[in-house]
Amino acid sequence: MYRLGVGAVWLYRITWGALFPTTCKYHPSCSQYAIDALRQKGLVRGGLLAGWRLLRCNPWSRGGFDPVR
Amino acid sequence: MILFKIPIISQLETVMRHVLDWFHGTLHLPWAWAIVATTIVVRVLLVPLTVKQIHSMQNLQRFAPQMKEIQKKYKADKQKQNEELMKFYRENNINPAASCLPMLFQLPVFIALYYSLRTFAHEAPSKHPGSLSFLHFVPNIAHHTTSFWGGYVLLVVYVASQMVSTLYMSATADKTQRILFMVMPLVFVFVIARFPAGLVLYWVTTNLWTVGQGLITRRLMPKTPPPDLFKRSSRTPPKADTGGNGDQPATPQPKPATPRSGGQPRRVRRKKGTARRR
Repeated sequence: MYRLGVGAVWLYRITWGALFPTTCKYHPSCSQYAIDALRQKGLVRGGLLAGWRLLRCNPWSRGGFDPVR
Repeated sequence: MILFKIPIISQLETVMRHVLDWFHGTLHLPWAWAIVATTIVVRVLLVPLTVKQIHSMQNLQRFAPQMKEIQKKYKADKQKQNEELMKFYRENNINPAASCLPMLFQLPVFIALYYSLRTFAHEAPSKHPGSLSFLHFVPNIAHHTTSFWGGYVLLVVYVASQMVSTLYMSATADKTQRILFMVMPLVFVFVIARFPAGLVLYWVTTNLWTVGQGLITRRLMPKTPPPDLFKRSSRTPPKADTGGNGDQPATPQPKPATPRSGGQPRRVRRKKGTARRR
């Protein structure tokens, strides 16, 4: 089931993600974090974690090293 | 292009149709200009995000030489390079310029516009019929961009604006990465050529906004006002200020040593002076 989410992330990467030169302020990047989260926590929890990470990836946050725990 | 419609998308489309209808019906803008107006509204909403981004990018450029060094050092291992860069950011209290949220915000707008224009192509907007042309050189914004010569003009403008805006917004000092960013629009042009002309119009408008915003913020914030680092070096000869590029402002960093060493004897002299007076 989580593969569905990973597929969506890849779809994003080759379309919208490729259009923008911005690199993420976190390491691993938001899309990589999403893939890791989906793999480790499954579709629902992984998806929620990825969503939370995206919200954190705003101009006011600090960024930095932030892997899935 | 096969893109299936999920419920969220049709809701997005409805919202977009309402917005376009409002610009067209209430403000009497032609459909093409309604798209331009919608784009501007979206970008105005994003201003707080992007201004903060530009400021932190300018701040980041002061550290370009050090960052280049890190990139050179870990050239072979990209992951290690990223980790070291993050560490460097943290140590120097830097807020990285890039972030994913502002970029993602435009995705739903783009999708909604795509579907709205597709519907326009099938059935002309019945509520407020009007011309779908743009500035006389694009006869129909709902048709494929390459189906008329004006579309090619739009595509050329798109490539140029995309390149310039990318140069403005990319904070990387990595040369190969910068070249890649410049080549990207040339690749995307083949994909975008299949899109409705109105979508390219959206893209061009948003790029031009990015460029304009970059120019204005740079003018309002001339050069980089480095914090305490710069204040300390203000007593040094004006050499440190001449740096026009982002690479040079970092030079003041090693300088503070000289004013400090120059300042100490002065203190001693003052002490001597006061001692003599007494």
